[in-house]
Parts: sequence; C-alpha cells; structure tokens
Amino acid sequence: MKYTALTKTHMFERTKNINLSAIKQIELKASEYPDAISLAQGIPDFDTPEFIKRRVERALKRGVVAKYSLSPGLPELRELIEESLEEEGMYYDWEKEILVTAGSIEGITATVMAITNPGDEVIIPEPTYTSYREVLSLAGCKAVFVPLDEEKGWGFDIERFKKAITEKTRAIFYCNPNNPTGTIYTREQLLSLADLAEENDLFLISDEVYKDFIYDQDDFFSLAEIPKLRKRVIRIFSFSKAFAMTGWRVAYLHSDEENVREITKVHDSLVTCAPVISQYAAMGALEIGGEKVRIFRDEYKKRRDLICERVGALKDIFEFVQPDSAYYIFPKILPKVKEFFEKDTQILTGNGRIDSRKFAHWLLDQTQVATVPGVAFGPNGEGHIRMSFGRRKEDITEAFDRMNRLFNT
Amino acid sequence: MKTCLKFLLKHYLRLITLMVLFVHRPTVVAIAGSVNKNFVKQEIKSRLERMGLDVRANPKNFNTEIGLPLAILDLPSGYNEYRKWIPVILGAPLKIFQRNFPKFLILSLGTSDEGDMGYLLSMLKPDISIVTDITQRYREGFSDMNNLVEEYHTLTNKTRKKGTLVLNSDNYRVREIAKDNKRKIIYFGFSELTDAMIKEVIKTPKGQKVIIKYKDKEREQEIQRFGKHHAYAFTIGFIVETELIKMLATKKTNT
Repeated sequence: MKYTALTKTHMFERTKNINLSAIKQIELKASEYPDAISLAQGIPDFDTPEFIKRRVERALKRGVVAKYSLSPGLPELRELIEESLEEEGMYYDWEKEILVTAGSIEGITATVMAITNPGDEVIIPEPTYTSYREVLSLAGCKAVFVPLDEEKGWGFDIERFKKAITEKTRAIFYCNPNNPTGTIYTREQLLSLADLAEENDLFLISDEVYKDFIYDQDDFFSLAEIPKLRKRVIRIFSFSKAFAMTGWRVAYLHSDEENVREITKVHDSLVTCAPVISQYAAMGALEIGGEKVRIFRDEYKKRRDLICERVGALKDIFEFVQPDSAYYIFPKILPKVKEFFEKDTQILTGNGRIDSRKFAHWLLDQTQVATVPGVAFGPNGEGHIRMSFGRRKEDITEAFDRMNRLFNT
Repeated sequence: MKTCLKFLLKHYLRLITLMVLFVHRPTVVAIAGSVNKNFVKQEIKSRLERMGLDVRANPKNFNTEIGLPLAILDLPSGYNEYRKWIPVILGAPLKIFQRNFPKFLILSLGTSDEGDMGYLLSMLKPDISIVTDITQRYREGFSDMNNLVEEYHTLTNKTRKKGTLVLNSDNYRVREIAKDNKRKIIYFGFSELTDAMIKEVIKTPKGQKVIIKYKDKEREQEIQRFGKHHAYAFTIGFIVETELIKMLATKKTNT
C-alpha cells in the first residue's frame, strides 16, 4: 500500500486565520529567558484557597467525581449559582437558565455558535480580550470592531456602535469590566447599548469575569439585572479570576431559558459537561468564598496603586488611564521611546502610533520583562501595552526597576 | 489534634444550644430536603418579618453539626483559624442570658452523612418540619437511597407531637416517610390530591404568577423569581404562615 500526503487545498479553512494569541507568543519567548518576569499573562499569583481544595478532597474521597454530571452542570452547584446571582439582583432559574461551562471561553464559544450563523457580524468594542475574535472566526462570523474612546477613560461612544450596525449584525459582545483597560462601563452607557440592541433586535453578550475586582466604587451594574432584557442578554462569569482557579476551567452563563436551551446543545457537543471535579471546587467557592474574594480584591488594589505609581514615574515613556477594575494597566507608549531604538528601526505604524508588537518584544529582550502588545486587543490597542498586576508586588517592583534602568530614569 | 478539638467544640456548642433553647423556648421551623432549602427559608422569614415577628434564620451553609448551633446562638464561625474560635467559645455561654432572644427560629438542616439529622435533632425539637424534596443530590455520603430517606424519617419522628409536617406530595419518597405518622400533615405540590395545590405557574416578563388552592380558597401571587422551585417556596411559605397564625392564636387563648 502506498501512502501519500493529503493534497486537498480546502483543508484548514476554518483555522487558517486563527493565530496563536500574542499573549502566548510573548510567553513562549519569555520562557527562553532565565530571569524573565511576566506581566503578560492574566493569571492571579494566588493559589486556589484551602477551603476549595478541602471541598474537592471530600468529593474525591466520596468517589463522586469520576462520572459525567448532567450536561448543564451539577444541580446543587446551579442552585448555589442562582443564590449568588440573587444576592446581586439577578433572578434566573437554576434548572433551565444557568449553564456551567468548562471555563468562560467554552461558554463564549457555545453562545456564539448557538446564536449566530456563518457570515453574521458581531460588534466588539475594542481594545478587548484577544480570544473573542478567534471564537468568532471559528464560528464563521466577522468581528466588527468599534473603538473605545481613550480620551473618555476608554468609555463607549454609542454613535460609533450605531454606525457599525448592518443587517448582518447579530450581537454586541463586550467585556465589563474590560480587559485590558480595566474600564467599568457606566449604567447610562450600558442602557444606551441595550436600547440599541432593542431597536436592532440584537443579542448582548456580557463577559463579566472581573466584576469582583472593582477598586473605587461599591456598585456594579449588569444589564442581566433587567428582567425585560433577559431574552437578549447572555451573561458569562468565571471562577478563574475571582477565586484564583484559572487551571480548574469552570465558569457559568445565564440567560432566558430559550437561549440557554440552545446554548446547552452546543455545550453538550463540545464538552458533554464541565469537569465534575472543578464543579465541586466551584461549589466550595460559592459556599464560603466571599471573604477570600474581598482579601484578593484588597491586595489587587494595593498592587494597582503600586503599578500606577511606577508607570506614572515613567512619564516620558508611558501615559495611562487609571484602571478602575480587573488587574491590568494599559498605558500608551509615548514617542520618546524612539530615542531608545536604532535610527533606522521602523518603530512607528501607519497611523503614527508606536508599533506595540516591536516594542513589547524589544522590552522583553532588553529587560526580560514580558508585556502584551496592545494591538493584540484590537486595532485601537495599537501603540499601547498591557501589564498585569495579578503578579506579586516583588515582581512588579523588580520589573519596573529594570525598566527604570533601561530608560535611565 | 484537629479532630479532637472539633469533637470537643461540637459537643460544647451542642450543650450551650440545648441550654439556650431550654431557657428561651422559641418556636422552631425546620426545613430539610435535597433542594430549595434556602429559598424556602427566605420566603418564610420574610413572611414572618412582615407579620412583625422576631425571627432568626440560619445563614447559608450554617446547617450542620457546628454551623447550626452557631446560627442558633448568632455567633460567627472561626473556620480553620484557631485564634478566631476563642471569642466564639467564650461568648457562647452569654447567649443563655441574652435578652430579646428571637421568638422564631427558621432553620435549614443539612444532612450529608448517615446520622447527621439525628445529631441535629438532639439539639432541637421542631414545631413545624418541612421536607422540600428528596433527590439523588448530596447522596454521596449514603450507602443507598433508603438510608438517605431514613434521615428525613428521623425528622418527621422527632418533630413535636403536636407539631405539623409540611411535605412534598409530588415525591413518592417524601409521601412514604409520613405513612404511619400521627402528627398533623399538610401536603403541597402540583397533584390534585394535595392539601395545598399549585394550580398554575405562568411565566411573566418580570417573574411568574403562581396560583395555589389551599382549603378551598384560591390565592394568586406574582413573584419576581423564575422556576417552579419558587412556586414551591411560595406555597410552603403560605402554609407555614397560616399554621403559625393558628399556633399563636391557640397560645393566646391558653394564656
């Protein structure tokens, strides 16, 4: 038997435009440096709290984690989720309107696959989380970027959304609080977005994985609180960030039962169910996790203040909007940095901004500090870099000491 | 060491709780079942508070051997920090002499291992006991379903002789546990043969409209929650409120 290589030209159509994310690229490069400090990956440096581990140990000992759960998730977990949503003023039926997913990205993928058809458009305010674009691409949809306004603290300009809507538009997909800018959209901004969705019959996908890390205000508003919008809003939340559980891959989404029923079909075909052991971990988190989240938030606030102080001290190099939430800062790279490159280096992009990809790689080579090029978060992110303050204070301090030495400040 | 301290703490809290309940003699409503305990508890609590009654309910998860006495005594948990337990241990006896101890306790009872219910009921004797439902959930600590059902059987048997059992008639396992019980029993559910029947649940944009029939009277209420478990919670709340009004009236007459 003679074997030959596949020659079909139409292979990999779906994946050919999907790239390894810029975060992973820079992480890969950073791993080659022995003393690299990564401010790139969005992971908390905390370990999963002990009480969550104990809850998992108990489930393991009792032999209840080896089998699939129901596709929407363990009923006892979903009931706990309903209770925690109720505390935040959101009322959803755990039996029909809550779906436990294998991380938020699986929930996002299942949602996009369920509510769109190939060729549809989805509006994404940007800069925002890099993987949204890839998920849309997988679903055969087009991401239509609407730039956020840096001058207005990275807020919405509703007129820009209006202009972006076409007859192919199916949804508006936003991250609130936003990664990488740390912006919390105001109630007015969100309500104007809801009005727009109502006028144009669009879904609203709200990714709220950072909602527990809000530093300078007490309240947080979600469109999922409005009963009239429950058929339109699909809200996603993850245990990853709030409870330092990124490796457990467990999250949930909720919406009206009609939507969740369809999303569950995709979820079932993708993963059958979220990892059962992680669902028990999520139960532990909801049973007694509240105090720990407050401790994490207080610590991140200290780190936010530290990183703002350090970035602020490099005022010739960076300019920034103080993040109100999440654990990222997204400074603009100022033209002064050109002085640090060789004369013939092409460091400016077509629109006159600093090429963030070149800058981030150069910074890594020079200081072994990994950051994420802003362009990875959308075209409007060009000229910026994202730095995570999910890292330890010592790492942040050391990273900026190195940058100070590089920039002679 | 840790196990030994836990054992001592558990029995110390039980002893104090027994004394507190003996001195203050509150009316106890116990809620058990595999599902819906917290929503039922909230419903009953808010109804009694609307009646102007002084109520204490156990917070979420304070429903086991250590959590329940802490909730009755209104003390925080020290969780895994020894230091945090010191004020709890020292403060517990003071609750015996506490003024204004609430007249009503609404307590959800958790059972994750065989014998748990018996232990919890060695501290208190409910005036009204509710079994919301019995399902496979939280079954992992039991060798078979019969042993789990036996826990709820213990509850119905340890309720005060003149007390009331409020049971889910939609679940045959729940119906079975009260077969030979002489206490007053009120069944709730969707079936027509039940005492408090949920006639209809209609979804509305803001929640659902629940129509129940109890003692030949229909009652309709719009609730801002979704899901049939809230219809159950509403119905149970209505039954308990009605029963407590009767109990209070009887007490008044007797005094």
